[in-house]
Amino acid sequence: MDATFPVTLSLQTAVLALALVTPVGLLLAWLQARRSYPLRSVVDALILLPLVLPPSVVGYFLVVLFGRRGLLGQWLDQVLDIRLIFSPAAAVIASALVALPLLVKTAQPAIEAVPLELEHVGSSLGLTSVQVFFRITMPMAWPGIAAALVLAFARAIGEFGATLMFAGNVPGRTNTMPIEIFTAYQAGDDSRAMLYVAVLTVISCLVVFVAARLGPSRAQR
Amino acid sequence: MSSPALEASFQVEVGFGSEAFGLQVELTLPKGVLVLYGPSGAGKSLSLTALAGLTPLQAGRVVVAGQVFDDVAGNSRVETRHRQLGYVPQHNALFPFCDVEQNIAFGLPRGARRAGNPGVEELMQEVGVAGLRSAHPASLSGGERQRVALARALAVQPKLLLLDEPFAFIDPRGRKDLREVLRRSLESRGISAVLVTHSRDEALAMGDCVALYERGRTLRCGSPAEILADQD
Repeated sequence: MDATFPVTLSLQTAVLALALVTPVGLLLAWLQARRSYPLRSVVDALILLPLVLPPSVVGYFLVVLFGRRGLLGQWLDQVLDIRLIFSPAAAVIASALVALPLLVKTAQPAIEAVPLELEHVGSSLGLTSVQVFFRITMPMAWPGIAAALVLAFARAIGEFGATLMFAGNVPGRTNTMPIEIFTAYQAGDDSRAMLYVAVLTVISCLVVFVAARLGPSRAQR
Repeated sequence: MSSPALEASFQVEVGFGSEAFGLQVELTLPKGVLVLYGPSGAGKSLSLTALAGLTPLQAGRVVVAGQVFDDVAGNSRVETRHRQLGYVPQHNALFPFCDVEQNIAFGLPRGARRAGNPGVEELMQEVGVAGLRSAHPASLSGGERQRVALARALAVQPKLLLLDEPFAFIDPRGRKDLREVLRRSLESRGISAVLVTHSRDEALAMGDCVALYERGRTLRCGSPAEILADQD
């Protein structure tokens, strides 16, 4: 198998997971920051759940939901002829789910820090809620939101447990870098394991560096 | 006969439990400037956000220039963005990521937001910030910021201006200049305004009508001489 495949797959998976989780995560961050509604604290707990549950448990829930006999998986299989389990798409979903709490909980304080008066001025100038978000909230909260995206990307590219449960370890199909490290280590192939350890370490260091530069202290200025 | 610039009679409540704050307001402005006058914490700024539709009413009506913005009994409410009101908050009035020209053009349609729009140029001249077009809010004085915020509110041709303590944090000279700019702009456009202050001098200098506030309610509303006569 091509040694670059896990690297390419991991990068693709993390980028697609980020694309999937960003709109949902930002909407949730905005809702939690700006709206009062019944069950808000329940939603807050649900957002945090993928962060506090063991990844294997998250993976198991995904199998229960999207497996071939799962609640949604059965419908997807029979109606749309889509089988998610043990596919690269499953790796994307698992990564997106574990990245969600990190994205929401980093972006939410950045949105909360945007002065409400500015959003009120926007509404009085005729802007819709969506325009207020993209023309006022987003530019003001951008450093914090960017940090949230970077951290979510890092969490997505390093995802192991849920991915292994839901996407499996199918060589040339779902073996992302973290899975490949585990496989190589189990097989005693230390040099192969070290290669992916090095790549992930470099990516993680870059992420820490970028997130530190974009962090909340700048968002609050 | 034209409709009064503002007729409002409403109740609002904000916060929960022991933090709850109720407000009972009666305001009338035939035309000109209505000053909301009273001590800090009496509910003047909250009244302004209620008029703007930013704080929902519990009961009552708000009618601006004959148009019903809120009628709780009739279950009708016009959203803030459709009210066409020029709202200038006391703090954080300007967008820090925009320069002066972009701030003024912010509420205009996309095509009109381009640099060098003659309407925006004219407004910058009118309020005296033409020399600051590329400056960002952080580099402006308090008076300059208020002028830019005023120009931005005027740019969308409001039916009514809502100004929250526009003269706070400005030196006496700048305050006098801004008062003149404001008076001139309102008169040339025939726009009315509601202005919050806790300064008696400002209320006398700017008000055609004054609403006196005390602990979450308006006590009376009338001419400045009549309302402010017994106030120190």
